[in-house]
Amino acid sequence: MEDAKVIENLRSVVLKESASLEGSCDRINGYDFNQGVNYSQLLKSFAFTGFQASNFGDAIQTVNQMLEWRLSHEQVTEDCSEEEKNPTYRESVKCKIFLGFTSNLISSGVRDVIRYLVQHHMVEVIVTTTGGIEEDIIKCLGDTYKGDFSLPGAALRSKGLNRIGNLLVPNDNYCKFEDWIIPIFDQMLVEQNTQHVLWTPSKLIARLGKEINNESSYLYWAYKNDIPVFCPGLTDGSLGDMLYFHSFRSPGLVVDVVQDIRAMNGEAVHANPRKTGMIILGGGLPKHHICNANMMRNGADYAVFINTAQEFDGSDSGARPDEAVSWGKIRASAKSVKVHCDATIAFPLLVAETFAATREKTTNPNSSS
Amino acid sequence: MSDEEHHFESKADAGASKTFPQQAGTIRKNGYIVIKNRACKVVEVSTSKTGKHGHAKCHFVAIDIFNGKKLEDIVPSSHNCDVPHVNRTDYQLIDISEDGFVSLLTESGGTKDDLKLPTDDTLLTQIKDGFAEGKDLVVTVMSAMGEEQICALKDIGPK
Repeated sequence: MEDAKVIENLRSVVLKESASLEGSCDRINGYDFNQGVNYSQLLKSFAFTGFQASNFGDAIQTVNQMLEWRLSHEQVTEDCSEEEKNPTYRESVKCKIFLGFTSNLISSGVRDVIRYLVQHHMVEVIVTTTGGIEEDIIKCLGDTYKGDFSLPGAALRSKGLNRIGNLLVPNDNYCKFEDWIIPIFDQMLVEQNTQHVLWTPSKLIARLGKEINNESSYLYWAYKNDIPVFCPGLTDGSLGDMLYFHSFRSPGLVVDVVQDIRAMNGEAVHANPRKTGMIILGGGLPKHHICNANMMRNGADYAVFINTAQEFDGSDSGARPDEAVSWGKIRASAKSVKVHCDATIAFPLLVAETFAATREKTTNPNSSS
Repeated sequence: MSDEEHHFESKADAGASKTFPQQAGTIRKNGYIVIKNRACKVVEVSTSKTGKHGHAKCHFVAIDIFNGKKLEDIVPSSHNCDVPHVNRTDYQLIDISEDGFVSLLTESGGTKDDLKLPTDDTLLTQIKDGFAEGKDLVVTVMSAMGEEQICALKDIGPK
């Protein structure tokens, strides 16, 4: 009798009665390859695979919400204008998407995925670092090659090869970039002095997009579709080197960052009644610049961060969306997710299940996914 | 400077151009270079190899040979730069006028009166004092890019 009681007590300690998760939490269920190699189903299964795959699944869901939201989904507010009360108008009002990425992604093949988004006007504001500008242009002038992380630096230097991770960019590409861009700066200086043009980073970038005139370039499409590309750190890259050299031969070119911060913050502040969404690949300047702009409108409504940075060092790059909530950069009510993954893997797959899938449905309504 | 005709007479190579092109990568320290249309003497050259900033470049720091100002330029090393022809000619000092012009004896026996006293204080004092004392003075006139200036002084009189 005693033993039975002891065993019973032990049981209730070791095997503590658990709360039922049935109905409140999703079941973990990975992809079954017995159903064939169906990539779309495989990606959909990530949501129920756990860890970062599940975060990735959440990211897909969040981006699809950005794409599906219409003002007509919201209640009509008391103080809105007549136009805003019109149901047809409300159907047409969509979420404004900010896309940010670091320059290494433009050196990588993700540049072509971004070009697709810009080509089809699927994002409205872009923020990147200087490399994100020049690498796109340079790829129209010369190729980037696959190398290896372990290639020794001194040997590469002697051969005039620059390493970006496991990619290689020959020096010659930068020489071509210099030969291409200096005459453009000369012309811009003339326009500044004779037509009183005051250049800003975004205007300069739009001009480069116009001049490169190449459909493989995302900057070309950004120029064509009137999508502003902000780069407040414009001097921190090869483009900055070119501005530096140009200033010796033909001094006087002015690039105004103040006008651009007005424009960037304005994109967020004047977005209402639209919702805003942020898709940010990597950390650093692009991540903060977009979040900060959205702070001006009391926070974005959707946020997807894809990066490999960690928060333990207090960096902004590694900060999770919840930290941004404390700053008012993301609304407390917003849907946000961070996918801890290299964007070269996560982003093409994300676009496949969101932007591209949506576009496929609208352009090929009869095809099955 | 005033009279173009007079100017050509005083130069040894009358009619020649004021500069000649030279590849930037071959210009060395203590050489001459034209920066912002000024004749300058190079005090520092550094080269950055071809890289992310594009072609290999030469960074020149030079001093304007007439007014002593420091000028800089960065040029791709394969490009040509203008190098000024810098000439030095000696003339005997004949007279100093009240308004600061000097009268110099030319090789042909005529006079050259279009040059002002130098602005450098030390040289100026030496000339004025030396002349006042009746010394036989020879001045060295440096000319480049259409500009001339007295740059040195010699006392050729008996010791």
